[in-house]
Amino acid sequence: MLELEKVDSFYGNSHILHQVSFAIPSGSFTAVVGRNGMGKTMLLKTIMGLTDRVRGSLLLNTHPLTPLPTHCRAKAGLAYVPQGREIISQFTVKENILMGCYARLDGKKKMPELALELFPYLKDNLNRRAGLLSGGQQQQLAIARALAAKPAVLLLDEPTEGIQPNIVEQIEQAITRLNQDFGLTIVLVEQNIAFARRAAQQFIMLNNGAIAAKGSIHELSDELVHRYMAV
Amino acid sequence: MLSSILSGLSIGSVLLLVALGLTVIYGSMGIINMAHGELVMLGAYVTVFSERFLRLPFLLCLPLAFGVTAGLGLLIERVVVRRLYGRLLDTLLATWGIGIILQQVIRLSFGPELQNVSVPGFLTGEYRIGEVSLQAYRLAIFLVALALFAIALLILYRTDFGTQLRAVTQNPQISACNGINVNQIRSYTFALGSGLAGVAGVMVSGFNAVSPTMGTNYVVDSFIVVVVGGVSSLVGTVASSALLGSVNSVVAWMSNDVLAKVVLLGLAIAVIRFFPKGLFTIQSR
Repeated sequence: MLELEKVDSFYGNSHILHQVSFAIPSGSFTAVVGRNGMGKTMLLKTIMGLTDRVRGSLLLNTHPLTPLPTHCRAKAGLAYVPQGREIISQFTVKENILMGCYARLDGKKKMPELALELFPYLKDNLNRRAGLLSGGQQQQLAIARALAAKPAVLLLDEPTEGIQPNIVEQIEQAITRLNQDFGLTIVLVEQNIAFARRAAQQFIMLNNGAIAAKGSIHELSDELVHRYMAV
Repeated sequence: MLSSILSGLSIGSVLLLVALGLTVIYGSMGIINMAHGELVMLGAYVTVFSERFLRLPFLLCLPLAFGVTAGLGLLIERVVVRRLYGRLLDTLLATWGIGIILQQVIRLSFGPELQNVSVPGFLTGEYRIGEVSLQAYRLAIFLVALALFAIALLILYRTDFGTQLRAVTQNPQISACNGINVNQIRSYTFALGSGLAGVAGVMVSGFNAVSPTMGTNYVVDSFIVVVVGGVSSLVGTVASSALLGSVNSVVAWMSNDVLAKVVLLGLAIAVIRFFPKGLFTIQSR
């Protein structure tokens, strides 16, 4: 259970999240939607402790996250796949994946079999330099790295943005399977409403850094989408 | 000619010795440590201290100096540098200030005069290869420089710490998101670079007089080495110290030392003009 209670978050002098409260049950799939610049990425960064200042309470399985620095939050079970992948381009595919293991509590260096099964391209190119991979392959790599940490909660920021269609489908299937077959809690920032409706159980709609609507995914009506997301 | 190449290699190995710690810190943390020269000086004074009071064998001073300067480096990072990340000019000034403090502390405790260190007998002789003579101590410097380079490579590319450090260098935020304690890695890196400076100081003390201001000379040359070689490349540091060392000694052999220095600086400026990132840079996208 990931709980946010009246969270305000700041980046420098700008107040980017206003009184955000919600609860994400273990094993659930939550889609965070909204226009660009409404605070979706900042919400994930706030959960990872990457913003400058936070008020309010963040709890993971009733343990407070607020006092923990980012690397301890990773060890507490949060894994983050950022927008733009941010893989280490000088490392090989294998080194990138194993990097996720620094967040494992047992400290073991083990390749996540599941991730290699989901993304066979990675399995066949373990010794390739990650910088040489295409955008879609790097995205798969970033997800594999997050899985290497054996996380409890996976935070994904627009994982299919700007990626060629055949890989988009592979990534969407992988994310859905991770939740349905392996019970991983997923928080997905997504612009693609169709995918959010297919995969998620609940949604959070952000508008100007505050929650505009939230609830079960069936309540994400066309009217809501039109009001908060039409450009 | 052969002797001037040998002397070039020997100048180059001193450059490498001093520049190695600088590369580790500058290349991976983006911090220009102006106190680096003073850490070298401190390493030299560890030798002086050990000769006067501890009577340790010369070679044992290497690990001792590493320990002393690495510990001090750890302290400097924790107390000062950590608060100044991302503020290049401020770190420059702060570490320069630390350098001045170190100089004065040594001047007050050992006196301003030059100190001499005696090196053990097996390092004072000369070898003859054909018609060229090679001082044993120069050879020792060469070997120690190579050994330190190998150790630094091993630490950076074959240990967990090194992997984490390279990850932090590329992307500190995402490293933290993967459970890497970025602050701790940076402290240890600063300590490692400082320790390498201390070892360089011990070796330097064996052939040059030791004084509180000796660090300044070395640090300027090593900065040139680091910049010419490319800031994040250990191999580049080796190549550029060999290159600059040889150029220096060949020009000095053909004319004189002053001209050699001029050529050296001219070369450095030319390299930076045409390869702003140094001769050896890692390409990435």
